[in-house]
Amino acid sequence: MPYQALAVPVLNYIGLSAVIFLIGVAGVVLRRNPLIMLMSIELMWNAANLLFLTFARTSLNNAGHIFAFLVITVAAAEAAIGLAIVVVVFRSRENVDVDEIALLRG
Amino acid sequence: MTGTYPLLFAIWLLPLAGAIVNWAFGPQLKRSAGIVGSAAVGLAFLAALLSWGAATQGSVAALGAHQQLFSWIPGYDFGLLLDPLSLIWTLIITGVGFLILVYSIGYMWADDAVARFFAYMNFFVFAMLTLVLSDNFAGLLVGWGLVGLASYFLIGYWFERPTAVAAARKAFVINVVGDVGMMFAIFMIFAKIGSLSYGVVFPHSAALGNWLFWTCLFLFIGAAAKSAQIPLHTWLPDAMEGPTPVSALIHAATMVTAGVYLIARCWPLWNASHDAQLLAGTAGGVTALAAAILGVAQWDIKRILAYSTMSQIGYMIMGVGVTAYQAGVAHFFMHAFFKAALFLGAGIVIHELKDEQDIRRMGGMRRRAPVAFWAMLAAVLAISGFPGFSGFYSKDPVIYGAFAHGYPWLGAIGIVTAGITAYYMSRLFIVTFFGESRGGLNPAELGIKEPPRSLEPHDVHEEGRGHAPAWIMAAPVAVLGVFSVIAGYVMIGSDSPWARFFAGTFRGGSLLPAPFNEITLTIVVVVVMLAGIALAYLRYGTRAALADAPQRLRIETERMPAVLVRLYYFDDLLEWLFVKPAQALGAFFGRWFDPHLIDGAVRDIVEVNTWFGTVVRSFQTGLLRAYALIVVFGAMCFAVYYALAGGLR
Amino acid sequence: MIAFYVLAAVLIVSAVWVVRASKPVYSVVALLLHFAALAIVYFTLSAEFIAIIQIIVYGGAILMLFVFVIALLSSGVAPFQSGPNRLPRIAVPALTSVAIMLLFIAYAIGRVPAVTAPSTQLPLGAAVGTANAFGSVSDFGRALFTTNLLPFEITAFILMVAVIGVVLLAGDAAPYVPTRRRARAVEREMREAVLRAGEE
Repeated sequence: MPYQALAVPVLNYIGLSAVIFLIGVAGVVLRRNPLIMLMSIELMWNAANLLFLTFARTSLNNAGHIFAFLVITVAAAEAAIGLAIVVVVFRSRENVDVDEIALLRG
Repeated sequence: MTGTYPLLFAIWLLPLAGAIVNWAFGPQLKRSAGIVGSAAVGLAFLAALLSWGAATQGSVAALGAHQQLFSWIPGYDFGLLLDPLSLIWTLIITGVGFLILVYSIGYMWADDAVARFFAYMNFFVFAMLTLVLSDNFAGLLVGWGLVGLASYFLIGYWFERPTAVAAARKAFVINVVGDVGMMFAIFMIFAKIGSLSYGVVFPHSAALGNWLFWTCLFLFIGAAAKSAQIPLHTWLPDAMEGPTPVSALIHAATMVTAGVYLIARCWPLWNASHDAQLLAGTAGGVTALAAAILGVAQWDIKRILAYSTMSQIGYMIMGVGVTAYQAGVAHFFMHAFFKAALFLGAGIVIHELKDEQDIRRMGGMRRRAPVAFWAMLAAVLAISGFPGFSGFYSKDPVIYGAFAHGYPWLGAIGIVTAGITAYYMSRLFIVTFFGESRGGLNPAELGIKEPPRSLEPHDVHEEGRGHAPAWIMAAPVAVLGVFSVIAGYVMIGSDSPWARFFAGTFRGGSLLPAPFNEITLTIVVVVVMLAGIALAYLRYGTRAALADAPQRLRIETERMPAVLVRLYYFDDLLEWLFVKPAQALGAFFGRWFDPHLIDGAVRDIVEVNTWFGTVVRSFQTGLLRAYALIVVFGAMCFAVYYALAGGLR
Repeated sequence: MIAFYVLAAVLIVSAVWVVRASKPVYSVVALLLHFAALAIVYFTLSAEFIAIIQIIVYGGAILMLFVFVIALLSSGVAPFQSGPNRLPRIAVPALTSVAIMLLFIAYAIGRVPAVTAPSTQLPLGAAVGTANAFGSVSDFGRALFTTNLLPFEITAFILMVAVIGVVLLAGDAAPYVPTRRRARAVEREMREAVLRAGEE
């Protein structure tokens, strides 16, 4: 059975990905809790993943799946390291408010 | 012209050696610097005497002794020339200079840094010799500038005094004006003739064409500045701020005669240009008359002598200006002796009265300074042109020359000025030397309003420093006084030694039949001169006048016309024309242009950089969130750019 | 079609909730919901394997990490205490401009003909529903271990580096065992701080 076209126009998927990405950016910029910031970064990763899979589907090419898989892996590694940094900061100053860590100021 | 005469090196460089020794070893030499300085110049004088024969040898074309110095560019030779004209000047410079230097040993006995004085004096002698011994215009100009420099050093010798410094500066600035004029003339000569050597320029002076008058004009500007002729004369009275030996040597006998030398040296140019003769003659005559009138109104003994110098040099310039070269040079020769005698004698009087220079406060010096009395008597008679004294033999040929070359009005000016000269010099002499001493009187009684300026430093008369032996100052003055009498005898007769000495050196301009012969003229001049002396005697010298002296002097001071007191307002005119605009320009640049524009530009650059740094620094907040935003924003801009560049719409 | 819009709504709402929740734990829950919805969207895109991996790795591992770190941080006295907000005032306008730019790009891409006309041709040798269908495990595995072997190996390397890094950063260098007296002092301070925070 041949593949059918997507139910909705591709533009919708692209727009959805863009919106989620923007929400993630807003979360990074507007929140002061580093954990929330990391979660927002995860949102951005996922938006990118959505885009990859969309185009994999439209061109029926496997490479998109492979790349999405690798993105998930790297995102996991990055989240782990980010959390480790938050833990270290917490240990040294009992306070992880991102605005308070602005020591490299000019 | 090439040739060698090594003794010229000795004449030229011995004073320089003396200057260098005094400069280098001043602190060690202390007072012996005077001996070193005098010896250097004295030896140069001897060398000049020995060169007499060599200087007068040779044919008319190649007269004199030559010594080549060096070739700056191949084809342009610079050397030294000793012909009768430069020999006369050399003898006066070194001879009278030697006498003045010996006198200075005594005069500057108590001065601290006396080695510096003698070094400067020797340097001046060297510079003046460079001027007169060069055989080309370039060397002349070098000497010209160096004597200006030496004059600056020596006028401002007592540099702790602001008046001396100001006077030195004024002299130098006016001299520079003359230097520029000289340079223009030299440029023109070089442009038209292609060489600066006298031996090439004068035979080809016709090549100047219609630039001839302009060349002479610019040369005359130089001469007027150096010889203090109107309108460049204002520096000479102020130059009396220097020590009296300086006034004697530089501003009476030698430096101020450089202009006369210049015109005499360039006689082919003057012969060829009637307009130049008119210019020089008129300027000289007007200066002679105007300066003499001012001399009548002065009370400072050195200023009277300064104006008399200006007036006598006016005679000399007038003489050489109307192409009566032998007469003009002869007057220079006589003037050197009697003017130096006058200045050195005045120096003895000043020294004796502990730095008093106002003749109203003198009087009765006849008994206190007898050597000065007799020497100055001879000099005053000489300068007036009394028969038998040296001035008589030189002043008449000058006046007669004016008539003979077709300038009768200049001759008339000369006659009138002779009378005025006799008057004010006699006035000086009588008021200073006769009568009772007025030094103890209250200055206000004599009409003196300003406090006496003590021009010499006070340590001159401190006790314990010892005094110079009296003969050191008396002997040179006596010698000069004697020469003031006998020097004129070389001019007696139509085939006089003087005429034979200068045979072939000059060729005067065209002679016109004179309105009267020479004997008549002489009688007229003598009569006018005696009238001047008589007038001075009647006003100051009679028994009644002497008894009443303080009263009369006070009345005369109060009645003196303001025009004369303010020196024809000439200084004020120059101040208004040149000094104030220059000061305004300087103030504009110094106070507005420099701080606002130039400093402002630098400050603005600094501020721009600081502002830029502040702007960039505002990005370095240390805020993680801001950095994240910047990253995203930048990435998005790039993405948009690539999308648009790739054709996405 | 409806499915898409419903899922899109869920995705957006949960994303906003992640960003704006007052407590971090709420954000984690919202994120979990977001991941689940996203997995369903992947299913509609014929990416079954990736959908499952999304749930397992993201929802199972990463969110657990977040929960544990939140637990660790919450043991602090006032870990998320706020000082003044120092975000420069240009942030909101900058964000809006980023949004505009991104939406513009998305719109522009969406109009590209190659994108608007998706391919419907069969990839070689795979039909829908068969064993090697597009997006299936076998299809994915074959691609991963043959064509894309090098990226796979490098990613494994990255993971190893990440593990080492985490251990170095957050692992115990030397255990700090406070004395009993010190522990009591810290506990007293914490109690007072909590009381003070409660009184304000």
